[in-house]
Amino acid sequence: MRAVRLTAAVIAALTVVAACTRPDDASGGAGGGFEACAADPAGCNAGPTEPGGTMTYALGKDVKAWNTLSSAGNTVEYQQALAGVLGVAHVFAPDLKHTINTDTLASMGLVSSAPMTVQYKIQPNAVWSDGTPISAEDFIWVWKVMNGRDCTGCTAASNDGYQDIAAVAGADNGKTVTATFSKPYPDWQGLFGTLYPAHLAAQQGDLAAGFSWMEKTVPTWSGGPYRIEKHEPNFALTLVRNERWFGKSKAPLDRIVYRIITNDAELAPALRNGEVSAVNPIVTPDILAQVREVPDVNSHLGKGLSWEHLDFNLKNPALADRAIRQAIFTAINRADIIAKTVGQYAPDTQPMGSHNFVPTMPGYVDHVSATGQGSGDLAKAREILAKAGYRSAGGKLVAPSGKAVPPLRIRHTVGNQLRRNTCELVANMVKELGVEVRVEPTDNLGATLTSGDFDIMIFAWMLSPLRIGAASSLWASSSASNYGRWSNPASDKLLAQANQIVGDDAKAFDLINQADKIMTEDAYVLPLFQRESFTAVASRYANIRPNPTLSGVGYNIAQWGLRAQ
Amino acid sequence: MFAYAARRMLLSVPVLLVASFLVFVLVAVSGSPTDPLRAVNPPVPEETIRLEERRLGWDQPLLQRYGSWLWGLVTRGDFGPSVNPREDINAEIVTRMGVTLRLVAVAMLVALVIAVVAGVVSAVRQYSALDYGITFSGFLFLAMPSFWLAVLLKEAGIWINGLDGDPRTQLLFTIGDRSPYLADPTWWNRFVDVAGHMILPTISLALISFAAWSRFQRAAMLEVLGSDYVRLARAKGLPARRVLTRHALRTALIPLTTVTAMDLAGILGGAVITETVFQWQGMGAYLIDSITTRDLYAVMAWLTISGLLVVVGNLVADLLYGVLDPRIRHA
Repeated sequence: MRAVRLTAAVIAALTVVAACTRPDDASGGAGGGFEACAADPAGCNAGPTEPGGTMTYALGKDVKAWNTLSSAGNTVEYQQALAGVLGVAHVFAPDLKHTINTDTLASMGLVSSAPMTVQYKIQPNAVWSDGTPISAEDFIWVWKVMNGRDCTGCTAASNDGYQDIAAVAGADNGKTVTATFSKPYPDWQGLFGTLYPAHLAAQQGDLAAGFSWMEKTVPTWSGGPYRIEKHEPNFALTLVRNERWFGKSKAPLDRIVYRIITNDAELAPALRNGEVSAVNPIVTPDILAQVREVPDVNSHLGKGLSWEHLDFNLKNPALADRAIRQAIFTAINRADIIAKTVGQYAPDTQPMGSHNFVPTMPGYVDHVSATGQGSGDLAKAREILAKAGYRSAGGKLVAPSGKAVPPLRIRHTVGNQLRRNTCELVANMVKELGVEVRVEPTDNLGATLTSGDFDIMIFAWMLSPLRIGAASSLWASSSASNYGRWSNPASDKLLAQANQIVGDDAKAFDLINQADKIMTEDAYVLPLFQRESFTAVASRYANIRPNPTLSGVGYNIAQWGLRAQ
Repeated sequence: MFAYAARRMLLSVPVLLVASFLVFVLVAVSGSPTDPLRAVNPPVPEETIRLEERRLGWDQPLLQRYGSWLWGLVTRGDFGPSVNPREDINAEIVTRMGVTLRLVAVAMLVALVIAVVAGVVSAVRQYSALDYGITFSGFLFLAMPSFWLAVLLKEAGIWINGLDGDPRTQLLFTIGDRSPYLADPTWWNRFVDVAGHMILPTISLALISFAAWSRFQRAAMLEVLGSDYVRLARAKGLPARRVLTRHALRTALIPLTTVTAMDLAGILGGAVITETVFQWQGMGAYLIDSITTRDLYAVMAWLTISGLLVVVGNLVADLLYGVLDPRIRHA
C-alpha cells in the first residue's frame, strides 16, 4: 500500500512539474468546425482569431530540399512546410478555384492571345525579408531555371509551360512582369506560383549554382508571413513571424512548428496527447477511427484529387486485341470493389467515369458507365468475347488464334492494402472469364511502370485543377507517362487541338472529352474511384481547413490562428 | 591480448567486404534511386534524371560503382552521395547514432540492473512465489512483440497524463526525444522534458532485453550457488550477504557480461521498432527512410556501421571473457 501511495505521490508531483513545462500548444477553446466543409470548402472553420499561440503540424517527412522547383524538392510535404516562407503568387483554394494571393500580386491575367501574353502586377510593397523588392527579376529567374534551355545544370521538376515562354520582361521598376509565349499554353495559371529571391541566387554564381544553393540552403530569407527560425534535421522545422511581412494583416500565430512524424500510425496518439495540433495522413480505417475518437478535434474526410485506376500494358500481345480488354473491364465490378474496400469507411464513394476530371470539376463527363466497363456484367463480357471469336476450353479462355490466353500479372505497390485487396477482387472477377490473373506486388512503382513489367497495373494519378495540358501529358502517344503505350492518332489530334485553346475552357474540355471517349471505348484504362483526403485539426484553431489540391492546407497559412474567445 | 584483438579485427575485414558487396548488389538490383522520378506527372525532364544519375554514380557499371564507393569510404571515410542533394550521409549517421545510442545505452543500463536483481532474487528464492512471478514476467516480455508492448505503453502514458483531468498536463510523451519548443526553457524544464520523452521508449526497449538477461542471470547464479567454493565460503562462517555479493554474484556476472556485449547489435536492431513507434529519428528510422527512398549509399552506410558493431561487439565479448575469467587467457 505504501508503494502505491508513493507512486501516486511521485506521479502527482511530476504532473505538477510537467504542467509547467508543457509546450505552448494547449491554449484556446473549441468552436467552429469542419461540418460545413462539404458545402463550403473554401469558407469552413472560418472565424476571428486572437494574436499569439503555437500550432504544431505533423509533417510526414523532413525537408531535405528547400527548392520546390527542383525534382527533389517538388513534394507535397515540402510545399506545405514552405508555404509560409516562399513568395507565393497564387494558389488553388479548397474549392479548386485558382486564386491570386493578393498580398503578393495585385493582378495576373491574359493580355493578348497572339502571341499569348500574360501580365503579372506585383504589389508595390511586396519585399523579401532583407528589404529587396519582389520584382520581375524573381519571375525571370524562375523562368530560366525551369525552361530547360537557359540552365542545363538545373534539376527542374518539370519544364511544362516554361519551355513555351519566349521571353519574360519587367517594367514599372520591376513591379509589372510580362511573359510572352512562343506557342499557346492553356494551363498558364499554374506557372510562377512560387517565387524565389533572384538577387540571393545571383550571389552564388551562375543559374545552376543559384538553383543548387536554393536547394541545399535552409532559407534565412522569406517572402511570406513567416520565416524559418530553426531547422532541426529529422525533428522539427520552426517558423516564426516574418517581421518584414507586407501582407494586409499580421499573421496571428507566434510560431508554427512542423513536427516530423514519418509513421502515420503514430499520429492519433500524438494528437490525443496534445503533442501535435494538426494532421493530414493517408487515410486508413484504423487512423480514421482513432482520430475521430480524439476530443476537441475537427476532422474532415473528403474527396481528394487522386484517383485509382487499372491500366493495361498494350505491349503484351495477349492484350493487343481490344475485345479481350473490353471483356475484362466489363467483368470487373467496380461497385463491388468499392463496397469491399474504400466504401467501408467512405460510403459515398462512387465509380469514376472520366480519365481527366473528377466529378467536382467542370468538364466532368462519365464515359465509362455507358460502355458497361466496370459493371461486373459477366454475360455481356462473355458476349464480347464470343463475338470476337474467343471460346472456352476446359475452363480456360482460348483466343481466336487457337492459343490459350496466358496468365496475366496484376501489380500493386507493396504494403498498400487497399490496392492489394482490389487486385485480389479483380483476379476473382476475371477468373469467371477463364483468364487467370496473378497478383504480384512491386516495391518500385516507378521502375515497374517505366519498364512495362506488368500486364495490369493499379496505381493513382493526382489531378491538378488545371486539366487541359495535363490530359495530353498523360494520354498522348508520345507521353512518357503513358506507360501502357496506348496510341491513337485521333485522340492525339484532339488533345493537341485542346492544347492550343487558351481562354475557352469549355471548348478545350469538349475536345478532351472527345479524346476520353475514344480511349474509354478502346478499354485501355479503367478509372476506379477518387481517393479520400483526410485532415484533422484541434478545434481551438480557426481558418485552417482541408485543401485537396497541391497548394494543400497551407494555402492560407497567413490566416491560421487561435480562435478568439 | 593486443595481438589477439588485432588478428580478430583483420579477420573480420574480408567478412565485411563480402557482406558489403552482397548488400550493394542486392540494393542496386532492386532499382535505381531515380525510378520514383519517372512515376510523376507532369513528367520530370530526362535531363534532370540524367543529372541525378550522374551525381549518384548511376551512370557507371555496377562494379565500378562499388569500387568508387569502397575507395571513397576507405580513403576519405565518405559514405557517398544521398538521393537528397542536401543530405550529408556521414553527418546524418553521426547525428542519428547519437539519438540511438542514447536510447540504447539507457535502456541497456535499466535492463541490466533489473535483470541482475531479478535473476539473483529468483535464484536465491528458487521455486518460491517470487521466483515464479519473475519467471512468468520474464517469459511474458520475451514472448510479447516489441511493437505491441510499445503501443500499450503509449496508451498507458496518455492515460497517466489524463489522470488529473487537466488536458494541459503532459508528463509522458509519445513522440520524439524532446519537445521542439518550450515556453519557459530553463535547464530544469528541459531536463524534465527530456526525461518525459525517454521514459516510455526506454521501458519498451529495456523490458525485452530484461526478459532474456534475467533468465541468464538466474541460471548463472544457481550454478554458482551450488559450486564448491561457495559451499566452502559458507562453511567458513562468512555472512550470507557477503557470500552472495562478494563470492557468488561476481562470478555469476561473467556470462551476462559477455551476453550483453554480444547482444548489442541485436538491441540496435530492436531499436528500429522502438524508434519507429516513438518517432525517435535515430538509426532505425534512417534505415527505413533510406530503403523507402532507395537511398543506396545511406543503406550501405547503415549496414556498414551495423556490421562493424556486430564485429566489435563479438570481439569485446571475447576479450571481456578473458579479462573477467582468470581461467581463460588468450594465447
